[in-house]
Formats: sequence, structure tokens, C-alpha cells
Amino acid sequence: MSVAAPVTPEQFVSQDGGRLANFRLIPRIDTYPRVVAFAQTAAGKIVLLALFGLGLAYSRGQTWWALTLWLVLTTFLPDRRRMLVTIGTLFFTIPVFFLGFTHRQLYIVVLLGSVLVLGATLFWSAAHWPRSWYGRRPVFFFLSGFAVLILFASSIPETTRYYHLVWDFTAILSLYIWFIAYSLLDRKAPDCDPFGLQLGTYLPFWGSTNTPLPKGAAYLRRIEARDAGQLAVTQLKGLKLLVWSILISLFAHLFAQCVHGYLRIPTFAQALSLSVSRTPLPWYTCWASLIAGFFEIIMDFSVWGHRFVACCRMAGFNALRNTYRPLSSRTVAEFFNRFYYYYKELLVDVFFYPTFLRYFKRNGKLRLVAAIFAAACFGNAFYHFVRDLGFIQKLGLVRALVGYQVFVFYCVALATAISISRLRHRGPTPTGFIRGKLWPSFSVGVFYCLLDIFGSTERNYPLTEHFRFLAHLFNVNL
Amino acid sequence: MDHMAEIRDFLKKLLSSRGDRQPFTDTSSFFLSGRLGSVDAVELVVFLEEQFEIDFSETGFDQSQIDSIEAITSLLQSEKVG
Repeated sequence: MSVAAPVTPEQFVSQDGGRLANFRLIPRIDTYPRVVAFAQTAAGKIVLLALFGLGLAYSRGQTWWALTLWLVLTTFLPDRRRMLVTIGTLFFTIPVFFLGFTHRQLYIVVLLGSVLVLGATLFWSAAHWPRSWYGRRPVFFFLSGFAVLILFASSIPETTRYYHLVWDFTAILSLYIWFIAYSLLDRKAPDCDPFGLQLGTYLPFWGSTNTPLPKGAAYLRRIEARDAGQLAVTQLKGLKLLVWSILISLFAHLFAQCVHGYLRIPTFAQALSLSVSRTPLPWYTCWASLIAGFFEIIMDFSVWGHRFVACCRMAGFNALRNTYRPLSSRTVAEFFNRFYYYYKELLVDVFFYPTFLRYFKRNGKLRLVAAIFAAACFGNAFYHFVRDLGFIQKLGLVRALVGYQVFVFYCVALATAISISRLRHRGPTPTGFIRGKLWPSFSVGVFYCLLDIFGSTERNYPLTEHFRFLAHLFNVNL
Repeated sequence: MDHMAEIRDFLKKLLSSRGDRQPFTDTSSFFLSGRLGSVDAVELVVFLEEQFEIDFSETGFDQSQIDSIEAITSLLQSEKVG
């Protein structure tokens, strides 16, 4: 929940000092005056875009050319940048532009349009009636309404005419709920963007998951490059990050080949499956599977997160990285922040702050713990439950909830650990490499590695099977 | 001590506790730049609640309101503190 340590690379240089800490695999070209000056010229921009396009062609596959074309427009028309972001986002979102009109495509476009009209209505209503019941807490009402919609959808018999229509609408709305939530949070800002510009942040053209990357329109306004110099630095940072993403993806490929091919270590899912079928692998192989899976998740998040943020920077927005050196975290809370920054920010903005600012104001510790549980436990569980709508449709609401027990345990354990991490009395920070850095980082890594045993939202096995696997890691067979 | 100096002093201590001893100005960004994070924002919120009796549950909250000393000052002015 926190940025207990700075997130920007520059600060790490100043903190750690020394040659090793200052070593960069990718040179810090954004700090070289000549390179920055060149990147501000037309020729420099073309070179930057060409290099970036090459990187995208390697890492993004088929859509690289369209994305590069849009980045050319945002680069050479900076005064129209926000409008171009909206147009680009709509262009990339609505697949009929690429695939041609079919009945199915048209049906999806109509549903998508309905969702966006709903978002616009909610935004407009919250802005125009700020003192109303809804206008005071629009995000709360919106998310509650979405939960009611899921209840309604899961109560419709499959044989009903409207069954698929309701579920399809709910599924498309579920893609946008957190984007709409950010728009609703932005409604009170004096410089709040009109809905047309808010739309540019809804699954933006540079790429995003259900979690808005990078946050909403309010954040974009504040990180947008104001002049040619800022744009050059931002784009150079974007290029660096794309190269970094490609390097990590290459390493991840080699890692997987080495671990799962040469060393024949099964994946965590395979190891868990064998444990469930009562033919467990040796405990040390289970550890190897778990640790390999942990590293693979971090690399995977880094690859796509860096790519999205790199494209966002290339479009002229100096966003922070999504994943930043999670393995150097010294506390549980810090890892949560460094591993998936924008998801943590979403939970903080939508669940943590509203709870913290309203409840238990007279008891500082209870206030903090309640807010942490609202975000890391309830918000985390809610986010994943409504994201995986397929399970609710397939299993029914009750069975989907019961099957969710493993991830609920994960959320409770995570929130408890973050609370302890934040409340624990700390004496003087231990100094030295081993006590000050290695041991805390190792402990945090082991905690998240073990927590990952319960991190599945797949609803394949009951909680007891995950505990059985955990016990087996310590050579205890239940 | 005037408001600006109090806030400056608090932020200096907060940054220092995070190992950040870099200088800052009244316009330096703390949160959008990543120098401080969400829980640091919480500490700053508690400080502003206690020192200046600002109630964010009434006014609404956005990190940009406290992103720099300048932003905090204008927030205090809009709340008519002091």
C-alpha cells in the first residue's frame, strides 16, 4: 500500500551510490543533453519513432503499425494530443474498423456503445448534482449497482430470451467499471476533463488491463509533456522502457526453457495438480516449481507493464512504471506497491482513501487497518470476483462464491500482512548489506512466494488442497 | 512558525524517513513524481487534519491537492485556514 521507498530510478542512484548501483544496462539517454536536443528535432522524432516502431513490431505483433502510426500523430500534433488519444482509443477499441461489419461485431459495438452512454450519464449526473445522494458518493453507488446487476444476471434462467444479452452487457461493462470509477473520482476537480477526453483513458490505445494504466484522466492531465523538451525526455524514457521490456521477455523465454525444459521442473499448476491427485512431487521440487513460478509472474508483469507504460510515454505522458524492482522491497507493503503499481493505486483511490477519510478517525491504528482491509482484502477480492464473470455465469453465484474461498484467504492474509507491516514498531533501520537489504528483501520474497500458493482465482481446488501443498513444502504430508 | 514552514518541515522529515534527502522547492511534485506514495499521503493527510483541521471526507480528496507545497497552500487557502 505504500511507496516506502522512492519509485524513480534517479533516487535510487542517489541513495545507493557507488558504481554498481549506478550501472545501467540501458544507458540513461534521457539525461544526455545532446540526445535530448536531437530528440526535439523533426529528424530526431522520426528516428525515435522508427526505433520504437521496430521494438513494437517485435513485441506487439500485428497491431504495431497502427499503434506506431498513432504515436506519430500524437508526437507531431502535441496540441491535439488528448483528442487524438480519445480517437485512437475508440479506433483501437471498436474492432469493426479492422474486421468489417458482421452481425456479431455490430451486436458488440451496440453493447459497447450502451456501456459508454451509461458511463457518460453517470459522469454527467455526478457532476451536475454533486449534493445529491448519488453525487456525494458516485463510485460507491456505481459499484453497488454493478454488484446488483451481477445478482440480477445470475438469477436469470439460461432458457430466457434475455439471458445472453444481459450477460454480454454485464461482461462488457465489467471491462470498463474501473475506468468509469476513475472518471467519477475526477468529477470534482476544478480542471476536470469533459467526458470526451475521459473516454481516451478507457482501455487506452497504448494498452491496458481491466486496471486503468496509467490511472484516469486526472493523472494524464498532470503527467502530460508541456513542451518539446519534456516530450523528448518522456519519449526517450519510453524507448528505454520498451527495450527493457524486450530484454526481460527474452530473458523470461530463456528462463522458462532452462527451468521447465533443461531442468524439467514442472510449473506450479502441475505441481499442485499432482499434490491434489495424491502423487506429489518431492518437497524440494515443489519449492523449485513455486519459486520459478514466482519469478515468472514478476517477469510477465514487467514485460506487459513496461510495454504499456512505454507506449504511454511515447504518446507524451510521463507515467511511472507499473513494476519497479519488486525484489528489492524491504517490507510486504512496499512489494505490493512495486509489483503492480497501478492496481495498488486503484485499490487505494477507490477503497483505501474513502474508508480512511471517513471512518475511525479517533483511533489512528484502527483507522489504518480498516482502510488497508477495505483495499487489500475487500477491494482486491471484489475486483477479481467481478473480473472473472465467466465463473459466475458457468457455476452460478453461490458455487462461484464458495469456489472463491482460496482467493478470499489470499486477500485476508495479504491485508493482515500489510497491516502488520505498517503498524509494526520499527527501531533504527538495520545497516549493512545483509541485515539492511538482503535479509528483509529475502523475507518479503519468501512471504509472497508462499502467498502465491493461494493466489489462484481459478476455483479448481478447495482451500484444504492448497494448505496440503503448503505443508508438503516443509515435508509434512497431511 | 508559519504554515508554509510547518508543512515544509513535515515533508522534509517524511522524505528523510524514506531515505530521500534530495532538496525540494515549493513547486516540487511529491506524489506524481513517485518521491512519496499512498501511505505517505495518509501521513500527510493526518498531519493536515490535526494541524489545520481539514476534513477531507467533506471536501473530497485527490492526491494532486497535496502534491506540492504550493498545492497544499492553495488547499489551505480554499479551506480558509489561518
